[in-house]
Amino acid sequence: MIALPTSMRVFERGWLSSNNVFFTDDHRTALVDSGYATHAQQTHALVMQASGGRGLDLLVNTHLHSDHCGGNALLQTAFGCETRIPVSEARAVEAWDEDALTFSATGQTCERFGFTGTISPGDTLRLGALDWSVLGAPGHDPHSLMLYCAEERVLISADALWENGFGVIFPELEGDSGFAEQRAVLDLIATLDVRVVIPGHGAPFSDIAKALDIASSRIDYLRADPVRNAKNALKVLIVFKLMELRSMRVEALLTLVDQARAMRAAADMLSSDRPAIVRQYLGELEKSGVLTLTGDVIGIV
Amino acid sequence: MDDAPSPCVDVCRMNAATGWCEGCFRTIDEIAAWSSADAAEKRDVLRRVEARKKEALA
Repeated sequence: MIALPTSMRVFERGWLSSNNVFFTDDHRTALVDSGYATHAQQTHALVMQASGGRGLDLLVNTHLHSDHCGGNALLQTAFGCETRIPVSEARAVEAWDEDALTFSATGQTCERFGFTGTISPGDTLRLGALDWSVLGAPGHDPHSLMLYCAEERVLISADALWENGFGVIFPELEGDSGFAEQRAVLDLIATLDVRVVIPGHGAPFSDIAKALDIASSRIDYLRADPVRNAKNALKVLIVFKLMELRSMRVEALLTLVDQARAMRAAADMLSSDRPAIVRQYLGELEKSGVLTLTGDVIGIV
Repeated sequence: MDDAPSPCVDVCRMNAATGWCEGCFRTIDEIAAWSSADAAEKRDVLRRVEARKKEALA
């Protein structure tokens, strides 16, 4: 167990939903990231539990992937909370620009939500009676941000640093730069005095040096052969979809890979035969005990 | 670290009748408190979860 300031609480979720960090002080309650859309009722229940029925005054998103902002719509309806999103996503959210937002590209869903303000690198946010600096964390997502509290030496790293790696480097799937940015983010984290990292997924951890070593090796490994990033991306996106649906037909998955831009791009980096590469990975995921294949129905273990 | 891993299986839907998550069989209090629980408390939760699973399947 890792001790955190009493004004903050981590709801450790799984993979379909990111972790949520709940804050309370005399002025307001706040939540960083809201999980996946299909889990929004549970996110709401967690906020009610932790706030003692007080509800939510402010919602902040580190980035706008569906596992981090899928609960936004429901929380906004339930609490009428203020919502601050990364500044560089403001235009896309305002227009609900499906091409700019990542939900359809990844084959995922997210109910439309609005925002009342933005956050930018260099900003300071007051959460749980503590000052949090907003840091840019491109790599996994060009718009992603982290929150750092120097006083308590706590870093909310989102998907830029996990105990055993980091999120898929999405920009590289479509020919944009992401590896160099991810490397720079790791270098930035190494300059910070950090006691605890609250990652976007997994338990909070305190061996920062070890996590940075693992992440550093991993970015070198991916950079040496970008196909490795594509392979990981396609597998992650397939498993994510199965976590959401629990089961689906192979044909439906093949259609999804054709339609969802990031899945299609990953598959096309790997093979000129999209259905074949998807079937190959389904076989590998079955073998490693992640998925089940019964006839043409895929299930999740 | 001797902490038990989270039993979350990404179902994350509370059952109104039992008060348990349909995926991991924890109560909302247990889910909210998980990351601030010590290793012994986590093991207690996992023991209760196993008992509830059996009850639900019986």
